[in-house]
Amino acid sequence: MKRRLRGSGRVVALALVVLWSLFPVYWALKTSLSTNAAAQQAPAQLIVTHPIWASYQALFGAGPESADAAGGIARALVNIVVETTGATLLTLAIAVVGAYAFARLRFRLKGAIFYVVIATLTLPVYATLIPLYRIMSDLHLVNTYLGIILVYTSGFLPLALWIMYNVFMALPASIEEAARIDGATTLQAFRRVVVPTARPGIVATAIVTFLFGWGQFIFPLVLSSSSSTEPLTVLLAAIDSRNVPYTIINAAAIVAVAIPAVIVFFLNRWIVTGITAGSLK
Amino acid sequence: MAERAAGDDVDQHRAAPSGRYLYNEDRRPAAKTRSRWLPGGKQTRPGRDGALPYLMIAPLVVFIAALAIYPTVLTIIEAFFHSDPLTPPNRFVGFGNFAGIFSNSQVRTSFENTGWYALFGVVLTVSLGTGIGLLLQRPFRGRGIILAIVILPWALPGVVEGVIWSWIYNPTVGVLNSVLKSLHLIGQYQLFIGTHRVETILLISLVQVWQITPLAALIVLAGLQSIPDELYEGASVDGASWHRVVRSITLPLIRPALAIATVQALVISLNIFDQVYVLNASATTGSSLMSTTYFITFQDLNFGQGYALSLLATVVTVLAAVLIVKVLYRKVEY
Repeated sequence: MKRRLRGSGRVVALALVVLWSLFPVYWALKTSLSTNAAAQQAPAQLIVTHPIWASYQALFGAGPESADAAGGIARALVNIVVETTGATLLTLAIAVVGAYAFARLRFRLKGAIFYVVIATLTLPVYATLIPLYRIMSDLHLVNTYLGIILVYTSGFLPLALWIMYNVFMALPASIEEAARIDGATTLQAFRRVVVPTARPGIVATAIVTFLFGWGQFIFPLVLSSSSSTEPLTVLLAAIDSRNVPYTIINAAAIVAVAIPAVIVFFLNRWIVTGITAGSLK
Repeated sequence: MAERAAGDDVDQHRAAPSGRYLYNEDRRPAAKTRSRWLPGGKQTRPGRDGALPYLMIAPLVVFIAALAIYPTVLTIIEAFFHSDPLTPPNRFVGFGNFAGIFSNSQVRTSFENTGWYALFGVVLTVSLGTGIGLLLQRPFRGRGIILAIVILPWALPGVVEGVIWSWIYNPTVGVLNSVLKSLHLIGQYQLFIGTHRVETILLISLVQVWQITPLAALIVLAGLQSIPDELYEGASVDGASWHRVVRSITLPLIRPALAIATVQALVISLNIFDQVYVLNASATTGSSLMSTTYFITFQDLNFGQGYALSLLATVVTVLAAVLIVKVLYRKVEY
């Protein structure tokens, strides 16, 4: 008897957790598919009876409510994909190679360099934001893809290094030794044996890094807020502060949410691996 | 790019059973074992891999030196200079910028506000995260799907979450108003954000809590899964109640995980910006240190004071993180 009660209490708790996690996104989705009038009904309607796509059409400039109000979302979507993907690839390339050196090779000052790099994880945004803006404007890299990718990469590297370092340390060294015995050089063993074996760890690092990049706001707000380079997050904040119908704002929010949501639902086990390996965000 | 204080030593502990530090030695050939680098240890025979390692870490070192360490040093130096593109020249002003920010009542308010953000952020995130972790501790059908649902808010951009929640909090047609009114908890629709300071901060903080609770839950879950089953079996043989098991076995043993979750929540909430930018804009009611720094620097173009505030906030963040680790983190023996 007691056990059953406990069981049903557990079900209620789980239902509440699901409701808490999903409701805000559901609500934005529901609003984005409603007409303006339906979205503003009081009391609020919990489901949408006649879903319409008008808000999305308006966002992408095809609807009647055409979108100088919203405009530029297609470009902002391209921008965020380019910047996030670019930073993820660059971060991975640098971190995987570096982490391997720290995990397997011997050289002077290794411990000290490793600790200094990892210690930059503790630097809050405050420490670097204003100087990075000054540096990037001196280099004429404000409002360029390159500038924002460089800044993202410097920010994501320590975490990616930490995760990849743990991944390499967990791999048995015997696989490289076998390759070395067969006559491969360190680099060949790294490329042909280590990297393929470490692939799950690399994928986890890539996914976590990509999600970080997708979520960036204050750095692009400062460093790339012209329409040619502003990512979707910056555009969304701008749309939100303009006088745009709620249905369209929520449609834009859903566009920004779509890719991370797909990643979470199909690749969540990599995220768990990545977070618990780094245990950080 | 911030907020990772405890990761290092804490992970060392957690990963130890799986052998990262302890057993790796056995996997290495005898010749390499001697000069293996151990955390905090010494390297006995450096340089045996020649120039290759330096080439491999060179890009990493260049990035970190140029875009993390150099900017931090600049912040420290510039905090003591007058630096304002509108009123040159730049000159050394000692603690002038600090005097400037402390005489600014908006800055003082944002310090207080950030204290509230940290309090709400840590208490709510860690308690919700622990609860969710305990709920998901044992395998059951559908746990994978629920885990994915739980992770979702963590993966979404903070700005987007701010936008989504600002619609929920909407004073004239928001669903929160609608629900509270249907439940007869309020007589008429309310303006939630911007009237009362603590209420405003709580509601904005809640948006961030929504985002970072999954992180705490995953950290706690990882801690829970490292507890050996025998401990629970022993307790159930002794007829201990669930509450008692949680209190005297589970919580003490996940102390390191709770410490990491707490530090993470603290550092992230001390840095709250995205949610504040969307929900509060530049108003003083819910301003945070980060939002105040942003507006002083990039709106008022007072870079000197921006640097000073950044330096203060950096020091506060790092000190708070170190303190929590010292107080909470202790190794656990099973």
